[in-house]
Amino acid sequence: MILGLALSLGLGLLGAYQSRLLQGEFLLLVISISLLVPLISGLTAFLWPIQPLQAARYFDLLFHLKERLSTAFELVQHPEPATAEIIDRQLQDTLSASTKVDLRRDLPLRYNLRAGALALLFVVLLGVVWFRGESWFKAAQQARNVQQAVAEQAAQIEEIIKQVETNEALSEAQKEAITSPLKEAQESLQDNPSLENSVSVLTSTGEKLQALSDPQSQQMSEALKEAGGQLAGQEGSPLESIGQDLAQGKNASAASRLANMDVGELNPAEQAQLADQLEAMADSLQSSNPGLADQLQQAADALRSGDTASAQQALDDAAKSLAQAGQQITSSETASQAAGQLQEGAGEVLAAGGGQQQANQSGQGNQPSQGSNQSGQTNGSGGAGSGKGSSEGSEQTGNEAGSSPIPQDNGPGDGGETSYEQIYAPSLLGGEDGPQVNLPPSGEDQGEVIGQGPTTPGDPGTSLVPYTEVYSQYEEINNQAIENNEVPQQFTEIIRNYFDSLKP
Amino acid sequence: MTELSVDQFREYALRVESEVGKVIVGQTEVVRHVLVSILAGGHVLLEGVPGLGKTMLIRTLGEALDLKFSRIQFTPDLMPADILGTEILTDQDGRREFRFRPGPLFSNLVLADEINRATPKTQSALLEAMQEASVTVAQQTYHLAEPFFVLATQNPLEMEGTYPLPEAQLDRFFFKVNVDLPNAREMVEIMDRTTGKETPSAGKAIRGADIVQMRALARAVPIASHVKEYIASLILATHPEDANASPLVRKYVRYGVSPRGGQALVLGGKVTALMAGRYNVAFEDIHAVAPAALRHRLLLNFDALAEGIRTDDVINELISEVKVQV
Repeated sequence: MILGLALSLGLGLLGAYQSRLLQGEFLLLVISISLLVPLISGLTAFLWPIQPLQAARYFDLLFHLKERLSTAFELVQHPEPATAEIIDRQLQDTLSASTKVDLRRDLPLRYNLRAGALALLFVVLLGVVWFRGESWFKAAQQARNVQQAVAEQAAQIEEIIKQVETNEALSEAQKEAITSPLKEAQESLQDNPSLENSVSVLTSTGEKLQALSDPQSQQMSEALKEAGGQLAGQEGSPLESIGQDLAQGKNASAASRLANMDVGELNPAEQAQLADQLEAMADSLQSSNPGLADQLQQAADALRSGDTASAQQALDDAAKSLAQAGQQITSSETASQAAGQLQEGAGEVLAAGGGQQQANQSGQGNQPSQGSNQSGQTNGSGGAGSGKGSSEGSEQTGNEAGSSPIPQDNGPGDGGETSYEQIYAPSLLGGEDGPQVNLPPSGEDQGEVIGQGPTTPGDPGTSLVPYTEVYSQYEEINNQAIENNEVPQQFTEIIRNYFDSLKP
Repeated sequence: MTELSVDQFREYALRVESEVGKVIVGQTEVVRHVLVSILAGGHVLLEGVPGLGKTMLIRTLGEALDLKFSRIQFTPDLMPADILGTEILTDQDGRREFRFRPGPLFSNLVLADEINRATPKTQSALLEAMQEASVTVAQQTYHLAEPFFVLATQNPLEMEGTYPLPEAQLDRFFFKVNVDLPNAREMVEIMDRTTGKETPSAGKAIRGADIVQMRALARAVPIASHVKEYIASLILATHPEDANASPLVRKYVRYGVSPRGGQALVLGGKVTALMAGRYNVAFEDIHAVAPAALRHRLLLNFDALAEGIRTDDVINELISEVKVQV
């Protein structure tokens, strides 16, 4: 019992100290070992193979039978040396002596005061661990959550890799470009599934994938869909089916249809209608894909001038460009989507880590930042979305903050801190694919959201304002965002710490 | 098989002790050991200073056992023929012939008083009788009547004019019993009994035939194998060259106990067990007879004698050192 208690205390302390045991598991461990050790000891003693003669000798000593039992046992087994009469007398004597055994005298209930005190001490220590080891158990729970979250992210990465590899719309090179960082991340998570490494890996991989996504592709995709929608609305026109494909995002199919179109089979009226449609399409795509727009315009011009051969050639070229654009869009969307999933996953792992992350966040080298594009936004082109009003404004803040690394102009010698300590902060905080906040339009209590839409990151500008002056603006925005509950609860403390560390 | 039961055995033994106790004050352990030796068929050497009642004890035993008793006072001029007997020339109906005249050894119970005063030649005359229970005179062997016991006494103090018993003869004694000084109470009782008008005497407790039956029953008592193994370990542990010998034995023992010591332990243990009302030998029976059975078989070296180490000290240490194997 004492051994069991000592063993359970030792293992329990070790497990709790290393943050491996939850409180319930600690209790289970203590109870099971405390009970199992005496049980196993008892069973071992009970089942231990012992010769009957040995047992008889032991009983002789234990019950003061003066070797009667062992002699009787030997006489029964080997009666040769003695006569039957002697054997009979000896057995009777043994039986008589055995009936007179005083069990209370020979098998007293022994109570060892020292052992009892030791057991009590162990119980008290176990109780102290149970009631005072809350921080250990909490840490174990967080570690367990992190482990589970990391495993989920590893599974998600595996799923993303499968989806990418089976996506026929992507070229092998594009697949390789997307899956390569994912596989590296997968290996890194397997090698070191700690909270810090997991978040770092997921974040950095998300950034790598994000870098693979082309911001122009989104614009191009929207332009193609818009143009496709217009074409699809013109029933009976030569480009109706192509327009439907484009509107549905089936760029490869649309390219194939365009390549298969034979302008020679069209009558002059249809050719004229086709020329108009091609020209309209070219206008729509002029800003997002000028090359494709030019080819479409050439085809339209050739059709109007009756040069069907040139028109056919221009359409073929346009089809190829469309196919390439389609692949580019798909690749960009896939990379962007994967990046978003990884960033979200990093957040989940971080949330699973809870307070542990706060304790461990110093010393992290990975330092994506937030808010650094604010200055770029002031000088850049800003968002290209169609949203307006306060809705737009909030999204701008949400999307652009943290979408790119902190410019190094806020380091030492830039008017900020003299010694710059790199800290870790996930890039997803308030960044892309972060929580979407819809604010009511200003001035209208029950008004509707006027509009919202995709935004494009602003061009990185040059910071012209000293860091020490701009910091207060950032901090104010940050505080407002926290007070307005625009930031998830679990990130507020991290964000506060982050800004504290940036304080000039 | 003997018709005796253990209860009868015990009753007879107690009866003898009771009768001896009428004459001998105290010395219960001495009486017990002498009785055990007799019932085991062995000879006893009693050692003690003069006046402790050694001779009286043996004489009383002779009375209580209803045996033919003879006493030989050993002196330096005692010749073997004086104890064994001799052939004398007789004249019967005008015909002269040599006829064997048995000596005092031809008894059931022989008291060899102050045996160490006789010369080794005379002491050796006892050898055949003690071991073979027979006497050879003029190439004629005479068997001694059963039971035959030699109860010898010797004085450990007087060295002048004594001849220490050779080891071979010592080994033939079943037990060597030390007779110690009685305590004050016993001393008073002795004075009361021996200085009054009447001196007590012992009655006949058992016959010679009873003793033979008791000896047969004692030999039939079973002994467990691990008890025998313990005895063997005990005997071997008395030898300084034995691997399991204790440091005390290695330092002070010159020669260890012979196998006869083991036989004495077994037989003595059997009789002790019967006297305790048991049909088997226990370790405590062995421990009870071990000093008497081993002390004259264990020869100490000069260092032990110089440092005052007694054989009983070595034996007691052996009993505590040699562990019982379960």
